[in-house]
Amino acid sequence: MKTFILSAVTALGLSIGAAQAQAAAPEEVTIGYLNLVNAQLVTKSLGLVQKEMPGVKINYINVGGGGDMLRAIAGDQVDFGGLGNPPTAIGVTRGLPIQGIMVLNMLDYVEAMAVRTSANIKRLEDLKGKTIAAPFGSTTHYLLMKALNDEGIDPASMKIIDLRPNDIALAWFRGDIDAAWFWEPALGRVLEGDANLFMTSGMMTSRGYPTWDVGVVMNEFAEKYPDYVEKFVRAECKGIDFWLNNPAETAEIIAKELQLDLPDAARMMKGTEMVSCDEQLTAEYIGDSNKRGQFVDTLLSTSTFLFEQKRLPNVPSRETFENFLVPEYLESVVK
Amino acid sequence: MAIDKKATPRAMSFDDGIPQRQMRMPPIIRKNIENGKYLSFLTVAAVLGTWFLVTGMGWANPLFLPSPISVWQSFVEVATIGYQGSTLIEHVATSLYRILTAFAAACLVGIPLGVMMGTSRSAHRVFNPIIEFYRPLPPLGLYTLLVMWLGIGESSKLALLFLAGLPGIIIATIQAVSDINPNYIRAARSLGASRWDLVREVYLPGSGPTILTGMRISLGFVYTVLVAAEIVAATAGIGWMIWDAAKFLMGDIVIMGLIVLGITGMALDLVLKLVGRIIMPWTKLKTL
Repeated sequence: MKTFILSAVTALGLSIGAAQAQAAAPEEVTIGYLNLVNAQLVTKSLGLVQKEMPGVKINYINVGGGGDMLRAIAGDQVDFGGLGNPPTAIGVTRGLPIQGIMVLNMLDYVEAMAVRTSANIKRLEDLKGKTIAAPFGSTTHYLLMKALNDEGIDPASMKIIDLRPNDIALAWFRGDIDAAWFWEPALGRVLEGDANLFMTSGMMTSRGYPTWDVGVVMNEFAEKYPDYVEKFVRAECKGIDFWLNNPAETAEIIAKELQLDLPDAARMMKGTEMVSCDEQLTAEYIGDSNKRGQFVDTLLSTSTFLFEQKRLPNVPSRETFENFLVPEYLESVVK
Repeated sequence: MAIDKKATPRAMSFDDGIPQRQMRMPPIIRKNIENGKYLSFLTVAAVLGTWFLVTGMGWANPLFLPSPISVWQSFVEVATIGYQGSTLIEHVATSLYRILTAFAAACLVGIPLGVMMGTSRSAHRVFNPIIEFYRPLPPLGLYTLLVMWLGIGESSKLALLFLAGLPGIIIATIQAVSDINPNYIRAARSLGASRWDLVREVYLPGSGPTILTGMRISLGFVYTVLVAAEIVAATAGIGWMIWDAAKFLMGDIVIMGLIVLGITGMALDLVLKLVGRIIMPWTKLKTL
């Protein structure tokens, strides 16, 4: 009898232990990735996340822009996502349950304003009376408003419309718009025609308005499966390393993923700056667990601007953004 | 509601059980209560009450379900200061212009086409495949094509709303025309009515009530695609405001926009019913 009870207790203990071990691994992981040229495409194409998480079903969801990603996060449809600094500022101010865990990319001329060559636009002022498109709520919409603001041009003097990158290309070829600030790969298709590059996001970086995309994780997922957040970061870091060390193979992957010609893919790659994971922990980027980096300043100035534009109800404290950035996962991956 | 008076068992009427206070009410109010005329107000009050309760007790994330008070505040703010360059009235006017233009066009095309298809078998055979084919297509899929053809301006939006409203009107009109008692037509013919006389004197009066129902349902369909139509490249309109506010996670403006949209829809439906009562006094329309 005693043995029976003992074995019953042991069996119970074992089964509880098994259940706990099971709970520590998610059944599936959903990654929302932006329709953009960065190392996430490499990670996805090489199946690096899957290699880190054997037995877990990995779902990739392509999301059109920052506004849509915010909705996907608010609707709890993704575990991991990517957000530019304006949507990040919006999400954090609105109290979305997310934390920033790594730098996905710094934006240079992968995002740019194209103008119709025949429309003869030489200065920002020439945009008056024209129709300009940008995906609202995204990095480029933010930079467009910033650029106009800096030169004291009233945005109401032109027609600024909200279109997604693919719709911009469509509207461009129909001749409905004269200028658009958006990103590759749709940007490349537009630039093949009657268009030239007027201003790039990299130029705005040198004016003091850097834009970037940060990888985010839902708080609930991070609390439940901290190991898997680390695995995710490790996989993305491997993707970034691959990008930095194998440009030729990376271009092939990008070309395949986005159905582009190889030279286009290679050109677009140069417009995005990838930051190696140990560098991400420096003051220029996320910073470390002792002291957060310049991303906090960018988020603060972005939300201040959005507040002035009546897109946000208030500007959160510096501390809110410092808490949003969680470098600990990166730190243990880099170590 | 019309059957309530007879069907309601005596035990359920209000003057049983609590007689004194009820007796002092003006008879018209008492009669309305007995008829259940105030039940709609109860529904609205219950929904509002639940909303206050859920948000007041903190059961809902205010990001997704803001309190009625903050929705009201956003209403006041958008009505006075505006949302992204246009006041609420301008947003409503932009959307109503789109809805009414497209709906009017759908009626102008749909009713004659429906009469034709209902009265002539060959007309039915000619047009039916097109209508039956595009009717179940999802509006967003259709919209992509419309934008390619007509651009991102006003015409693609109007075309989408028009196409959403058209089939309901056509189908209701066909049904209405085919339901007319053939004896009326034979009688009119034997009295020497021409084809045009038949349409004017028999088909239209006889089919009016069903066509009106079709129009009301169609207006609903036009409303359902409004947000979809205003997603692409709009800068004003209630649908656009809802879509844009959702991007910036402004739940209060989203809900406020939906309420305003719903109220305008109810108001338009009411207008349709009233017009129906005036121009077709022989119909048995239940109002309110």
